[in-house]
Amino acid sequence: MSSVWTGEGPKRRRSSDKFRVTVVIAGLLLLEFYLRPSLMEGRGMPDFLMLALLLIAIRQRPGTAAMTGFVVGFVVDVLTPARFGAGILASVLVGWGASYGRSVFFADNLVVTAAVFFAGTWVRNLLILLLSGTPSGHLLSEALVWAPLQGVTTAAVGVVIVILFRDWLAIRIDR
Amino acid sequence: MRDLGGRETARSDLVLFVGCVILALLALALPRPWAASLTATIRETALRPVVAMQSRAVSERTSRQGLKALEHNRDSLALLVQDFATVSHENANLRELLALRPRLSRPYLSAEILHQSAATDDRVALLGVGSADGVQQFDPIVTAEGLIGYVWSVGARSSSAYTWAHPEFRAAAVTGDGRVTGLVSPSSSTDASRAVLQLRGVALRDSLVIGTAVYTSGLGGVFPRGIPIGRISAIERDQFGYERVYRVTPFAHPALSTHVLVLISPRDSLFIALPKPDSVIRADSLRVVDSLRQRVDTQPRPDSLP
Repeated sequence: MSSVWTGEGPKRRRSSDKFRVTVVIAGLLLLEFYLRPSLMEGRGMPDFLMLALLLIAIRQRPGTAAMTGFVVGFVVDVLTPARFGAGILASVLVGWGASYGRSVFFADNLVVTAAVFFAGTWVRNLLILLLSGTPSGHLLSEALVWAPLQGVTTAAVGVVIVILFRDWLAIRIDR
Repeated sequence: MRDLGGRETARSDLVLFVGCVILALLALALPRPWAASLTATIRETALRPVVAMQSRAVSERTSRQGLKALEHNRDSLALLVQDFATVSHENANLRELLALRPRLSRPYLSAEILHQSAATDDRVALLGVGSADGVQQFDPIVTAEGLIGYVWSVGARSSSAYTWAHPEFRAAAVTGDGRVTGLVSPSSSTDASRAVLQLRGVALRDSLVIGTAVYTSGLGGVFPRGIPIGRISAIERDQFGYERVYRVTPFAHPALSTHVLVLISPRDSLFIALPKPDSVIRADSLRVVDSLRQRVDTQPRPDSLP
């Protein structure tokens, strides 16, 4: 069994962990707002902002995850205001759900973590589409093609990040 | 499994969650103009570095990857310009013969769409230009292929635009021969695999052939006449049978477009420029001359005096 930080340890280590998590999240923000538009464009690309939310959510309490979801959703709504508030509500629900599910239901497993990334992205997209009044024909193709595709790419990137930075992110992964 | 830290912590988590949900619902209930001005303000203040960084990233990508395409476009345009000079001269001569006013030019701004990874990115586009560049609300957005949408909310350095995929998008349309008019809106059809438009409001006596190109008609004062919208691709069924409805495949797709043109004023083809100040003065002076002549005419001539 390969496991890392279990939540116990000296306070000094915890503060350094916070710094490392901040570095990883800052890296994801840089990927979202600079490297992604600089290198690639198109639908189905990984959502690094959503990944940052889910990474925070699965290692924090549900209340903190909901607040993080609020901030992430607010940024999404400000940048693409199809319907102001839709992104906020979707991100709050997904953030809270991921954190609550992780603490109560989900096992500490790489596949399960990948599934959380996929489901989180897919559900968030679906909620935004529903709340912003997408026509039914368009909604079907978005929900069954583009949202799952973005979920898969986000989950793939998320797994790579978890494997690379699991010590920094303090995510325990049982094999 | 992680311990939530007891009942007290669970309760505070629930309070935070419920608070966030209530705030989100309040945001959803916010009137659209208020939400637009709020998002524009936040884009210009707190998120300004983010927008600037993304705008720079898109510019850098274009300078790296778009050079070859730009060279092709420039070569094609060079050929077109050679032919255009002769045609333009002939057109000017004919207009002069027919006493027609010169055709209005369409001033524009080039802008970049800053794509986001949100699911609604193809409906609302973030542009890297704003009111400081001369953009106003309802300015049309086009590409070389055709219509993309119009500016909805304007900030100083950025603006958001509704594309044709937005449920509230509407544009008055006409066929190339000017015979059939209608209203273009996003299609609500369930059998369309991707976002398309529909042409509504076509009279039952009119029928269109598949493949007919549709353009903006200039009615409504937002889009100037003659911007290509798309091509008729199928006939849809109107559930009431009062009109003909056609599916239109758009020429330009917002999700695939990066560089767009924002058409700034005059935005209406029916717009007629006011007379120049010197012409107004000349008209007034002519009137004065006329009144003087009338006065002279009414006065008795010296030779008629007794």
